[in-house]
Formats: sequence, structure tokens, C-alpha cells
Amino acid sequence: MATSRDDFGIAIRSALLQRGAKQKFSLFVLILISIVIFAIDNTQVKPVKVLRSLINDSIYRVSAISSSPIRFTSATKNFFVKHVFIYEENEQLKSEIAELKKKKFDTSYLETENKQLQEIVELDQKLAFMTVGAKIMLDKNSPYLNSAIINKGSNSKIKLGMPVLSKGHLIGRIVEVNYMSSRILLLNDLNSKIPVVISPSGDQAILSGVGQLKPSLEYLPDNFYPKDNNLVYTSGKDGVLIPGISIGQALMEDDRIKVKLFTDPTQIFLVNVVLEQQTDLEAM
Amino acid sequence: MAINVKVIKEGLLRLAPLILLIYICISEFHTQFYYWKIFSFNLQFIILYYWILRDPSILGYGFVFLCGIINDVILSLPLGTSSLSYLFVSLVAAYVRNATVRSTLFTDWFTFIIAILGGNMLTYFLIQNFTEMRTEYVSVFYDSMFTFILYPFFWGIFELYKRFIGLRIYD
Repeated sequence: MATSRDDFGIAIRSALLQRGAKQKFSLFVLILISIVIFAIDNTQVKPVKVLRSLINDSIYRVSAISSSPIRFTSATKNFFVKHVFIYEENEQLKSEIAELKKKKFDTSYLETENKQLQEIVELDQKLAFMTVGAKIMLDKNSPYLNSAIINKGSNSKIKLGMPVLSKGHLIGRIVEVNYMSSRILLLNDLNSKIPVVISPSGDQAILSGVGQLKPSLEYLPDNFYPKDNNLVYTSGKDGVLIPGISIGQALMEDDRIKVKLFTDPTQIFLVNVVLEQQTDLEAM
Repeated sequence: MAINVKVIKEGLLRLAPLILLIYICISEFHTQFYYWKIFSFNLQFIILYYWILRDPSILGYGFVFLCGIINDVILSLPLGTSSLSYLFVSLVAAYVRNATVRSTLFTDWFTFIIAILGGNMLTYFLIQNFTEMRTEYVSVFYDSMFTFILYPFFWGIFELYKRFIGLRIYD
């Protein structure tokens, strides 16, 4: 028994300390360095943050170039898959157009009515956003993370927490800002929690990422059941996100109330980071 | 001149596993292979374990550490997290190399469980306790399981490659 323990000790000591013919560092030294780097990185001191930001910027650029063959393969595959189902999609779109044409007339009436009502109550109309356009450099969808890296950073006045839109719909918020790049935490990430309001009922909830394509709604009223017309918007209750940004449609799936996002987070390419809100007059 | 070309060619062939490791760390490989909500595997672990066990002269520990740092930047983890997990896998591989006289696929495969579980648990522990990020244990479990299942497949490929470039077996 003692011999077996000795053998284990010798083998593990040898594995940790032996450098071998072509090894410049022993495992023990590198493990120590890793622990030190981990501890320093967790301190969040400003010089460390700046250094990390520089490292991030340079590695993201190299990564964007080196992963282009994989992205090309993925895009080609998507292209062919889309073409296979194009007939079916066309039929579906035709029926949707017919339905939308019908709805257009109703909307036009409602718009006029809404305008008149707003004039009556003299609401402060804040609709437009001042945004900065950016391109997705890398998109990450892994067991650990659902995020995307964009090619704009603090040089374009981007700050932490700013909402990010794609085709006018919310897709996430900024969680990391470097000088020339930023990271967006997508709505479907496990760490994403956003206060939302459900239209037309006005129920408040928290949109919570579950690591899958459709985030779920939490803290809803007990008797809530999603209907076809239940749309989800930001409520702005956290004081960070601007209220009224469209997110998606509430639906029931796997016994959970989920949200089908208006913009598929896996298909985004160009995004807009909302820098600030503008009034109608400023926007014009 | 002809000798130089041969030396360069041999050098490049020996460097291929290292280049592959750096490439998959710096590219989106890990994140691109995430299908059906559960399927993902850690090719870095497989490369590290196989080559450190079979021929440690191919992968330097310094490069393993560097790949970990790159992976942390790409996945937005605190610097040092992946390095520690990769070095743990290297440690298990180095231990198995020292402790066993002659390794086979089955001995490699079953000792690989310790490396995967230890490496992934280390990453999970560091993320859960030292960052504000949250990860699902189930996802990490699936990742570990598929990495384990796919090991023999990559073992076969690496064995063929090793024979192709004419490396001696390190035992």
C-alpha cells in the first residue's frame, strides 16, 4: 500500500516538475502563473482592464480573420438549405402578404386614432434613437456563452449596458467595451435578464435567457396565458434600457412561456447600438 | 538545399497538432460545433491529452498555457481559466505517461475521463464562484460526454497521422 502511494507521489511529482527535452516550462510553474493571472484579472483594477482591452482587441481581429473559412462554410450550407425550402417558404409568404394587406387597413385607422389621442393627452413622444451601426465580427454560441463581438468600441462612444438592435428589434446589450470592439450579450444567454412589458395586456415580466434560441418570461401574473397578439417590449424599469423597443412574440412551448424573438440571434450580421434617445423633433 | 526542404517539411508536419490547437482556440470552432442544444465537444482537450500522452515533444506546455489565454479572450472568461483547465488535462496526461509502461486505446480512453471531468469541473467551479456568469451544469456534462465518446475517433486519426509522419511511440 505504501509502495503504491510512493509510486503515485513520484509519478505526479515527475509530471508536475519535469520539463523534459523540449519543454521550456514545467507544469507547476505554468499552473502558478495561471492562478496569478486569474487573480489579477479578477481584481478589475483599471490598468489590468486597459491591458485586457488591448489583448481583446488584437485577438478578436486575428480570430475574425482565422474563422472566416468556417463562417464561409456555414454560410454556404445555410444558402443551400434555404434554397431547398424556398418553394414552401414562397407559399407561406403569399398567404402572409394577403393577411397583412387586410391588416394594413385596420392599422391605418388605428394610427390616425392613436395620433388624435396622443394630441389630446399631450404625450412626450420619444420614438427615435440615435444609433451607431456596427458589423458582427464573431458570434459565439456555446454551452458557456451566447454573445457576439462587433467592430465598434469606445472609439464610437459605445458604453456598457447600451441596447443593441437588429432590424429595429432588440437583440441584446453591451457587456464589454474595448477601444475598437465590443461584446453584445444576446437575449438568449443564460446571464441575460431584461425587464419587459407585454402588449396589449400591459403585464410586467423579466425576459430571461435560458441558453436556447427562445428566452423565457419569468415573474408573470399567475393567470397569464400567452395569446397570438401578445408582443413583448422593453419596459425600461431597470433605468438602463429605453422603454418600448420591440423584442418578440410570447408563446407557450415545453410548458414554459417563451418569446420568439423578432430577430434570430444566430442570423445577425449588422446591428445598431443605441447611443441615446431622441425626441421626434431632434430625429427630424 | 534538398535537405533543408526535407527538414522544413518534417518540422511543419510535427507542428501540425500545435497549429491545429492554436487555430481551434482562436477561431470559432468550439462555438460552431454546438448543435441540437446539446451537441458540443472539446477538441482542445482531445488534442492536448493525446499528444502529451503520446509524444510530449509535439506540444510545449508554454503553448498549452498560451492557447488557454487565447480561448479565455475569445469566450470572455477571466484570463487563466482555460489555461488552468488545459494544464490540468496536461497534468493527467503526463501522469498517465509516467505511471504506465505501455498504453493502449482503452487505457488512454478511460484515464481521459479523469482529465475531462477534472478540466471541465475546474472551469465550471471558477466561472460559478469567481465571476458573475452563469452556466448550466447539464451543458457542461453533455460537452464532457461527447468529448469522451469522440476520443477513440480522434485517437484513430492521430495514430494514422503519427504513422504518416513517422514519429516514434513515446513509451
